Amino acid sequence: MNKTVLIVGVIIVAVVIFVLFAGLGKDPSIIDSPLIGKPAPPFALKAVGSGETIDLAALRGKPVVLNFWATWCGPCYEEHPTLVANARNLPNVQFVGVVFNDEEDKIMRFLAQRGTAYPTLLDTNGKTAIAYGVGGVPETYFINPAGTIVAKYAGPLSTEELQANLAKALR
Amino acid sequence: MMAMLVLLAFLQVKVPDAAQIIGPPAGTPVTGAQLERRTMEISSELRCPVCQGLAIGDSPSIMAANMKAQVRELLERGYTETQILSYFEKSYGQFVLLKPKFQGVNALVWILPVLALAIGFILVMSKAKKLETAPAKASPTPEEPTDDPYLARVREMVDKP
Repeated sequence: MNKTVLIVGVIIVAVVIFVLFAGLGKDPSIIDSPLIGKPAPPFALKAVGSGETIDLAALRGKPVVLNFWATWCGPCYEEHPTLVANARNLPNVQFVGVVFNDEEDKIMRFLAQRGTAYPTLLDTNGKTAIAYGVGGVPETYFINPAGTIVAKYAGPLSTEELQANLAKALR
Repeated sequence: MMAMLVLLAFLQVKVPDAAQIIGPPAGTPVTGAQLERRTMEISSELRCPVCQGLAIGDSPSIMAANMKAQVRELLERGYTETQILSYFEKSYGQFVLLKPKFQGVNALVWILPVLALAIGFILVMSKAKKLETAPAKASPTPEEPTDDPYLARVREMVDKP
């Protein structure tokens, strides 16, 4: 009886240790998106400044880098120059910013001070962010020319990370 | 003219719609006090993606408020609880459900506690049965004669009425 209890105990402890080690080093805030491999949820949102409505469907045929951000998000300040520089260097890729829960004048000020190279759209009630499963900002979705989401990146992007994910959209 | 253009642009704005993701509503629209109650009930089943283990109904974050507003709107449109949970699951994955589904590895969350309880119960019962069937504690063996004066003295003291 004692031997059986010992064996069962050792098995349980081994399983627990395995589970803990398997999760070691993983960032619990990074969650795989169920939208990868699925069509990007369609939207048409108003661009900050111009008032023009940009429809995602109209961007088909080009890879799209869809970046969710906000002026109240610290890491978004860090990421912005990377996105602008890459948008200028990659004319065949359509960069789109989507700002949620923010004020248009604050966004305009942010863009005026830091520059921009692509449209920034306003998601006033956060519905677009919810449909994309945005957990926090910044978060970036990479959409291939056929309109399928091929990658998601949570956190501020570096040029290397941006290009590695973009490569998936160009395959 | 400018105002008309702005209005036109505004009218063209469209956000991803639930109908495209989960189809038409399968229930009846909910209104009034019931709407508030159902919104809170469903909000308590959805995890806030920016908080640590909080339901959207308990979180003060903007993201949770947006999600709660979405729950309310879907209820008003006649979507059922299953459809609403499925809507959020399709964009956030099973992570968003505070009550994990009984499928795949998640099934272990439901099975293991019951299994552990059953094993514990069986162990306790078998131990109890053993104790029950074990022979009653034998009465003290008859004293053997001893030459030890101390033992003799102890026996004498114990036996003394």
